[in-house]
Amino acid sequence: MGFRTTGEAMGRRVTVGALALALCACVDKADLPRPMVQADPVAGLAVIEEVGCAACHKIPGVAWPEGRSGSNLAGFGARPLIAGRLPNQPDVLIRWLIDAPSMDPGTAMPPMPLTQDQARDVAAYLYTLDED
Amino acid sequence: MLDPAGPFAGPIQTVAWVLFVMAAVVMVVVLVALGVALFGPRKWKRRVGGERLIWIAGLVFPVVVLTGLLIYGLTTTARVADAPKPGEMRVRVTGEMWWWRVAYLDGQGREIVQDANEVHIPAGQPVVFELESADVIHSFWVPRLGGKTDMIPGRRNFMRLQADAPGTYGGQCAEYCGGPHALMGLVVVAHAPADYAAWLARQSRPAAAVPSAQGPLALIDQGRNVFAASGCAACHTIRGTEANGLAGPDLTHVGSRQTLGAGILPNNQGTMAGWISDSQSLKPGNRMPSYAVLSGQDVRAVAAYLESLK
Amino acid sequence: MSSETGFDPELYKRFPTTEARPEGELEQLEEVWCGPRRPWEWITAINNNYIGVYYVGAAMLFFVLAGVLALLMRTQLALPMTGFLAQETYNQIFTMHGTVMMFLFAVPAVEALGVLLLPQMLGARDLPFPRLSAYAFWAYLVGGLCFFASLFFGLAPNGGWFMYPPLTSTTYSPGINADFWLLGIGFIEISAIAGAIEIIVGVLKTRAPGMTLDKLPIFAWAMLIFACMIIIAFPSIILSTLLLELERALGWPFFDAAKGGDPMLWQHLFWFFGHPEVYIIFLPAAGAMSTLIPAVAQTKLVGYRLVVLAMLATGFISFGVWAHHMFTTGMPQISINYFSAASMAVSVPAGVQVFAWIATLAAGKMRFNTPGLFAVGGLVIFVMGGLTGVMVAMVPFDWQAHDSYFIVAHLHYVLIGGMVFPLFAAIYYWTPMSSSRPLSERWGKWIFWLMFVGHNLTFMPMHLTGLMGMPRRVYTYLPDRGWDLPNMISTVGSFMFGLAVLLWVVDMVRNFRPFGNKDAGNVFGGPGLEWLPSGRYSLRSVPVIKSLYPVWDQPDLARDVEAGRYFLPGAPRGERETMITSPINAEPQYLQRMPRPSSWYVWGAIFTAGFFLILTIQAYLVSVISGVLAIYCILKWCWGLDRPSGPATVDVGGGVRLPTYVSGPSSHGWWAMVITLIVSGMVAIMACFSYVFLWSRRPDLWQAPPEIGSLPLTLGLLAAAGVGAWASQGALKLDRPRSAGIAAVLMLAATLAAGGAFAAEASAWWNSGLRPDASSQGATVYALLAWQGTFVGISLLMGPFVLLRWLCGLVSSRYPATFEVVALFVAFTAVQGAATTLLIRLFPGVGA
Repeated sequence: MGFRTTGEAMGRRVTVGALALALCACVDKADLPRPMVQADPVAGLAVIEEVGCAACHKIPGVAWPEGRSGSNLAGFGARPLIAGRLPNQPDVLIRWLIDAPSMDPGTAMPPMPLTQDQARDVAAYLYTLDED
Repeated sequence: MLDPAGPFAGPIQTVAWVLFVMAAVVMVVVLVALGVALFGPRKWKRRVGGERLIWIAGLVFPVVVLTGLLIYGLTTTARVADAPKPGEMRVRVTGEMWWWRVAYLDGQGREIVQDANEVHIPAGQPVVFELESADVIHSFWVPRLGGKTDMIPGRRNFMRLQADAPGTYGGQCAEYCGGPHALMGLVVVAHAPADYAAWLARQSRPAAAVPSAQGPLALIDQGRNVFAASGCAACHTIRGTEANGLAGPDLTHVGSRQTLGAGILPNNQGTMAGWISDSQSLKPGNRMPSYAVLSGQDVRAVAAYLESLK
Repeated sequence: MSSETGFDPELYKRFPTTEARPEGELEQLEEVWCGPRRPWEWITAINNNYIGVYYVGAAMLFFVLAGVLALLMRTQLALPMTGFLAQETYNQIFTMHGTVMMFLFAVPAVEALGVLLLPQMLGARDLPFPRLSAYAFWAYLVGGLCFFASLFFGLAPNGGWFMYPPLTSTTYSPGINADFWLLGIGFIEISAIAGAIEIIVGVLKTRAPGMTLDKLPIFAWAMLIFACMIIIAFPSIILSTLLLELERALGWPFFDAAKGGDPMLWQHLFWFFGHPEVYIIFLPAAGAMSTLIPAVAQTKLVGYRLVVLAMLATGFISFGVWAHHMFTTGMPQISINYFSAASMAVSVPAGVQVFAWIATLAAGKMRFNTPGLFAVGGLVIFVMGGLTGVMVAMVPFDWQAHDSYFIVAHLHYVLIGGMVFPLFAAIYYWTPMSSSRPLSERWGKWIFWLMFVGHNLTFMPMHLTGLMGMPRRVYTYLPDRGWDLPNMISTVGSFMFGLAVLLWVVDMVRNFRPFGNKDAGNVFGGPGLEWLPSGRYSLRSVPVIKSLYPVWDQPDLARDVEAGRYFLPGAPRGERETMITSPINAEPQYLQRMPRPSSWYVWGAIFTAGFFLILTIQAYLVSVISGVLAIYCILKWCWGLDRPSGPATVDVGGGVRLPTYVSGPSSHGWWAMVITLIVSGMVAIMACFSYVFLWSRRPDLWQAPPEIGSLPLTLGLLAAAGVGAWASQGALKLDRPRSAGIAAVLMLAATLAAGGAFAAEASAWWNSGLRPDASSQGATVYALLAWQGTFVGISLLMGPFVLLRWLCGLVSSRYPATFEVVALFVAFTAVQGAATTLLIRLFPGVGA
């Protein structure tokens, strides 16, 4: 056994993700801000860890790292705007995740190596992040 | 080490199993003797309660077991740790606070090419690792491929590893080296021999930026300029450019690596941007400052440039 | 039985005496040995009944403190990548946990147990150097607390408890954190050595009459071997801390590879101390086990002689295994094989002891009281630690397990099973001896089970995490490696262990009532002298020992001892005194006058600790003032030594008369000086080893020594110093009218000659152009010179000191002890100077 690269061993993350979801669900299950059909927030969290979003963002549910270059994504689901300038809607967010510079040339956030489906799952996870 | 992947890890695992069985047997012997001593019927207790027990169980038994183990251990040691022979493939890994400098050597021991934090080897053949240190004592350890060997300033140690099959094998510094010692990892990538030759040839070429949809040419150019203007070249080398710093990892083909920050982060433009702008929050105490002076676009450009160096 | 000293064993037959004891004898004894009456007398107290309890208490305080650090670490590691502790804080905490546990808890705790128990077990009134015990204790307490406090200022060392350079050199550890470790540990070791001298002389010279070596309680055997091991092993750590501090402060390259030093030198020196250290900790605890298991099982220890031999073997073999901590450093195959074999061999004597305990339990009937539970639990844990020890002695396995959590598990099994559990057994077993109430049996059982389960929960999973690849000393770990669950279990277990310790503290607060005139008595039915009725003066009278288990085998002992029917039933000179006996057969030799409490040794200890600690924060002036004050206090203390009074012989009971003053090899002072010089010689030998070792690494850096023509001057002056010192004490013994004056002047001249030799040698090297910071040769040559210089400096204090005593009329031919001791020291200085000079001048070859 021993060291495995980040791509492997997703099992535990999924557990943590489920745990995080369960916690979120306790808060207010009926009123998830932007429910997304056909998207899997648990898979989204796994993608987040695999790609390393947390290198820049503090993301509830991700133990490490806790990057400070990007915004803290706690409570992201309740925010009206993405990066302070774009409407926080699923389709906008999905596009933003895949290629942020095309929407805001000044952003520090590079295009991320995500497929459309992966981005949808990530977005779904981010929308589970209600205030605290 | 529970899942060995080469002939220098396999025998160690066998040794480990033998030892575990030995330990379990002895433990049972001790517990049975103790159980009899504490709870046994008087007749049994009388057999255990004398100097004979000490002679047999405390002296003769251990001497026999240990002698057997010792002979077995010494032969295994000799088999696993054989002195390096001329003509074997050599890689020099130098421990630095808190990353690994990797140099591929030719038959004469000259350096062909330098890289960092990732060791590529051909699968199915032994590779001799020359282990050195540039600062404090580190220890090179890839558990699935073999034991560990220290890297000591002023000395050069040798270790031989082999991966039987292509794949990725994680490793970590095993000797406490201060600060973020916990975050000093590395990756060993074993290729099929033909792939390895191709990889080495690719690696030996100077840097060539490969534009992509995510890293268009204009952005790469901007990144190259920012890289030059921000003094990154003082510490980093990118062969084929003016960047020739030696303090930090060689970045000539950094875009082709699997990890960032010495085995701790996946490698893509996003993590690269995060690392450049704030490596200190990701790996506290590491020698690279957080570049808080760069604008968002500049950070992104440098990240795109570096990731284009495949 | 042939006599060792000319003492007639027939005299033993006079005891127990039958005549009535004189009126008021007991009252006088009580008055002489009275406890503190005013508040500050609690600090100046020197009776081992007080210092021993303080000492154990302080050691347990550090155990609790370091345990709290462990809980902080376990909290941090409960989950991957948590932010409970910052990286730097964690690095300081794990360093302090190891350092405090090893240096401030384990060694002092067993030493403290010795100070507390030995006089009781041996039938002495006190240990032979009560002020030295007090000095060692106060230096340890003050220094240890200040050292620990560095954590609160973020200045605690952070290089791991074995402090490998170059990580700990100024380049990579520029702060004063590492200096705290070096200086703090340096003087804590000195206090350990002081304690060891005390224990060796105590065991060999203050036994009850008739307690021949084959009737020596097993715990005393263990403490004797323990103390001898300290004498051999600790000089190595003293030297290595000195060298590293010299490198840090002055840039002398002992470990800096760029100038010919070698980081491996540190590893050799450190582990030459560090591995015996483990057995140094284990042996006294094993001795306690061998003492209390017979009491628990109510039968004699099976295989007493085998156990003693096993402990001796452990002591010897443990000095041949140090490099098994270095299997991964690329040592030559042949050395690796040797050390692997030796490491396995050292487990054999441990096995002998384990099976002796099991055989004893089988021979008797185990009573499941708290000491018994802790003993059996410790045995089981220790065996598991020993087995993993055999595993890591197998080189290929060690290549994987080394520096991983497997090692963390192994060492905690060994140390907790081999030392902590026996210590708790000992605390529960011997508390009734010191306290007027025993500890609670009900609580004790709870504490045992919590601790036993907690220990296994904590450390069992660590075997697995280690094999899964988790290195030790990591402040965190990445989440995706499968290490999360075992780490969480470990954390839960550690808090269980913590709860057990907390309950124990509460139990102590509820029930531990020391210093009273009455103790709880022989609750567990133990066989040793310590269970006889006693007061602050220890035993009313010192019995003649006829058995290894006197309380069991000599039925009227308690009554006769208490009635004063044996040796020394009172205080014949109206002073504190104890009987000095011969080392092998324990035949009475003389009556030693013991000191009364005073404050010089306390101040001496405080200023010694102050000197080292203030030096660390680089307030040099204050530090020097503190150092000078320490020397003044110690000299003031020495001034009061060797001041005989009263009649030349006294009746110690039964009409046996013993002298009140003895010098030479019979005297306790002579023994202490010889042991001190062995320590010093060991340091010099290790320094010579360092010189040769570094030469072997880089012979090309060695430059030619000074002209050979300057050598005779140095050697001649050294010869003069040696001869002068010897002649001085000889002259004194002649007992002519002017011999005192001649002796004093000769001694002064001898010390001056030693000083002259040092000056000549140092200037020869300086003029040869060699500089200490230039190369490894310079560093080691000047280190040897500096060591010699320290001895010359002390000699130069001693010369005027004896002269002053002569001027004050304190020197007399009948009382030559001071001169003998000073002569030993000066002669040693001369021999050491000659040996080191010859080495650095003639090796690796004249003009090489």
